[in-house]
Amino acid sequence: MGTHIVQLERATKAFALPEGGTITALHGIDLDVERNEFLTLLGPSGCGKTTLLHAISGFVQLDAGKVRIDGDDVSDRPPHRRPVNTVFQNYALFPHMNVGNNVGYALDIAGTERKERNQRVGAALELVGLAGLENRLPRQLSGGQQQRVALARAIIARPKLLLLDEPLSALDRNLRQAMQIELKTLQAELGISFIFVTHDQEEALTMSDRLAVLNKGVIQQIDTSRTVYDRPTNAFVASFIGASNLFEGTAARSGGNTLIATADGLRIEAACSGGWKPGDGAAATALIRPEQFSLVGPGAKGPTIGIDIEQVVFTGLNFQIHGHTPSGRRIVAIIAAVRQADVASAEADGKARLGYDPAAVHLLPDDGTAAAEMAA
Amino acid sequence: MSTSTLRGRRRSQLGILLGPASAFLAIFFLCPLLIMLVYSFLEPGLYGGAEWAFYPDNYGRILGFANPEFEDYDPVYISIFLRSLKIALITVAATLLVCYPAAFQISRLPDRWKNFALFLITLPFFASLIVRLFIWVLILKKTGFANMVLAGLHIVSHPLELIYTEGAIIVGMVYVFIPFMFLPVYASVEKLDWSLVRASQDLGANGFQTFWRVIFPLTLPGVVGGSIIVFIPALGNFIVPAVLGGAKVMMLGNLIEQQFLGARNWPFGAALAMLVMAAVLAILFFYIRFEARRGDDAPVLR
Amino acid sequence: MGSLRNVGVVGLFGYTILFFTFIYLPIVLIVAYSFNSDPINMMNWSGFTFDWYRQIFGLKNTVSENALYIESTEQLLNALRNSLTVAAFTTTIATVLGTATALGLYRFNFLGKKFYRVLLFAPMLMPDIVLGIALLIFFVGADVSLGLKTIIIGQCSFLISYVFIVVSARLAGMDRSLENASADLGADEWTTFRRIILPQAMPGVIGGALLAFIISMDDLVITYFISGVDTQTLPIFIFGMLRRGIKPEINAIATLMLLFSFAVASLGLYFRSRRG
Repeated sequence: MGTHIVQLERATKAFALPEGGTITALHGIDLDVERNEFLTLLGPSGCGKTTLLHAISGFVQLDAGKVRIDGDDVSDRPPHRRPVNTVFQNYALFPHMNVGNNVGYALDIAGTERKERNQRVGAALELVGLAGLENRLPRQLSGGQQQRVALARAIIARPKLLLLDEPLSALDRNLRQAMQIELKTLQAELGISFIFVTHDQEEALTMSDRLAVLNKGVIQQIDTSRTVYDRPTNAFVASFIGASNLFEGTAARSGGNTLIATADGLRIEAACSGGWKPGDGAAATALIRPEQFSLVGPGAKGPTIGIDIEQVVFTGLNFQIHGHTPSGRRIVAIIAAVRQADVASAEADGKARLGYDPAAVHLLPDDGTAAAEMAA
Repeated sequence: MSTSTLRGRRRSQLGILLGPASAFLAIFFLCPLLIMLVYSFLEPGLYGGAEWAFYPDNYGRILGFANPEFEDYDPVYISIFLRSLKIALITVAATLLVCYPAAFQISRLPDRWKNFALFLITLPFFASLIVRLFIWVLILKKTGFANMVLAGLHIVSHPLELIYTEGAIIVGMVYVFIPFMFLPVYASVEKLDWSLVRASQDLGANGFQTFWRVIFPLTLPGVVGGSIIVFIPALGNFIVPAVLGGAKVMMLGNLIEQQFLGARNWPFGAALAMLVMAAVLAILFFYIRFEARRGDDAPVLR
Repeated sequence: MGSLRNVGVVGLFGYTILFFTFIYLPIVLIVAYSFNSDPINMMNWSGFTFDWYRQIFGLKNTVSENALYIESTEQLLNALRNSLTVAAFTTTIATVLGTATALGLYRFNFLGKKFYRVLLFAPMLMPDIVLGIALLIFFVGADVSLGLKTIIIGQCSFLISYVFIVVSARLAGMDRSLENASADLGADEWTTFRRIILPQAMPGVIGGALLAFIISMDDLVITYFISGVDTQTLPIFIFGMLRRGIKPEINAIATLMLLFSFAVASLGLYFRSRRG
């Protein structure tokens, strides 16, 4: 047995469009899912993340490539013969069955003995905090409770792997945050891998051990949340995860650092400690996260960017300063709430000088296509 | 390999599910209609039935191109057709007029009352049509309830001739077709987003303008749907005129019935039936065009 | 402006009262007058009596011979028996075939599916007199003697569509992801059909069967053409009575029929509201 619970090899799937032609949902994807891992698939709608999930659960038959679960090739097995279970986006609770029968469904199908079945249903409901609600009908439950029933139903057969298809998207913000933590705890308790699909980047960053960013049927980057955020491999990932200021230009050496000269005359200084280092004259994009900026005075040391302020938004935790450089390039900076006085005076001037640490600037190879996609 | 056997199994499942009904409808629905179409072009036999010969004069009698050697063109058939059309259209309009305001009122009732009102409206639909029509004979006849009330209120001195008139037929049809019209209209009214009405008023439209420019277009699908479901059975109806029209007001349905059970001129009866069907198909054709146009508009509205 | 609005509201309310009066006054009248003892003018109240009901059930009564239809009770019972026989067969056949068709169109995609759907709507949109005479020509041409058999076949030719539409509507409201959920939890296709699809389609099947039963019991036009001379169903029997002249006995028959159909309908609607 390998160490991976799921292995996808060159998984490829294309769908025929109703108006003719095809769309490639999976473009030869290789993916290894570790045991006991919380993996999130993140991407815009239509990126292939749900198709990828369905390829594992069996609702999508691959055109080419293989799916292995716990070392077994299950590519040709129908969904009901795969040792995985799914929490569906709209929960898909059977409306004509009560909670107990919904949760016990998999055991009833498997012919589990009555006493054990009831005991396991009770235990599963207790695990999700719904003990004693066996006789309610799904429609008599709140959204959050339905979510928990779906969860209990999916884990009762002790699957080797739990798939979650945007399960929290229908819940309101507070409940969603509470469920995020519960899911994380549950995963640790059960000791199985979760594959979680979402289009919400904040949710993805909060929950994942690892995070796979998909676009156009290709995994753009797969790594820990921290790495994906700090060291995105391309401009798509950089802009999809968190707000970003991107500066495309040409690289040049300057002492120990690299300078990116943009077409509109900015010079962005990057320390390039670790990560990709462009050669002289190579095309490159510099990424500065909004929170890496600070408000600085006129005589400050280190590199700065001057902007005209368009708007200052107070979010409670901090100030978002939206502005543009003299050449018209839009810049977003996030300044901590404690710097209220500086922000107020900058706002009064209508101008600000933003400083940044070259060590916090991340450089991306400028492939052009990524930037074009973002604009679309 | 596995996919081909899977496909084979699915095909046999499909055959089991659809086969019996398809065969039944092919034999007992499509086949009779085709035979009727052929029949309408055959020569009437001497004692009922038909002779195997092409004979367009069945239609000629109605539409005016009959060969006088065999049949005479008689404008009475066209006039019966036009009367049937007129009565059917008036029925549609009257049913709509009766149902539309009531649908509004009921859609705004609290849930419990709303369900009860809907129950009351659908209930008569389940009762025997012939019984519901018969009641109107008792109400409309010379010594009937309507004349009793009118005389009692001193509105009339002599009993009125209410029954055996076009009016009686229309009242009877409206009465039996109310659920057909009410339910589709109600479904549209119920879906109506009242914030749009408030928006229209906010933008300066008065009650009539709001109704005409916002409410009516939004409920139009229900109105059109209900009108068609009422029009189709109204046009070829022979029960209502038989009961409430007597021998005095004849509609297409009665004429057809006569050809089959009285005069025994089946090919001519079949030709008349084809006329009813042609009218229905024309209406359905316009309905489909209407639906298709609405379908095109939908994305713009969204 | 405010008062004008009130006038509108009151007007609409009054209108609705009138609307319900229009629907129910005739029904109330017929029930009331079925207890009227006047044998000549049914609208002239001359005292309360059960005689018309006693007559129908063959009990002793004081009604004079010439106020009655001849041999009406025996014919009535015969017609009722015919109607129930026909309805039992048509309901069963139409429910099985209509449900199977609805399931077939729900589960499978095939070439010409749209056309097939239109074909299934056609019998409902066909004016009943057209279908009635088409069937008459067909049966006579095929040399089938008219009777219960032809009535059953003829009614099924349009009742299948009614059942199909009711069941299809129910299936269309069903969440397809439930089937995925069932498969995901280990159920094969047959188990999913038995435990998920069928139980959820059931209210539609029952509703369709009820509708088929009621329409079959009430069908007059199509049955009229293909019933032949000797076979009478209840609606045809009453239609015949009306043509022979109206006698008070018919009030009582009509009241009983109303009572029966309202009971069946109330039961059906009650079950539907309970199933949600």
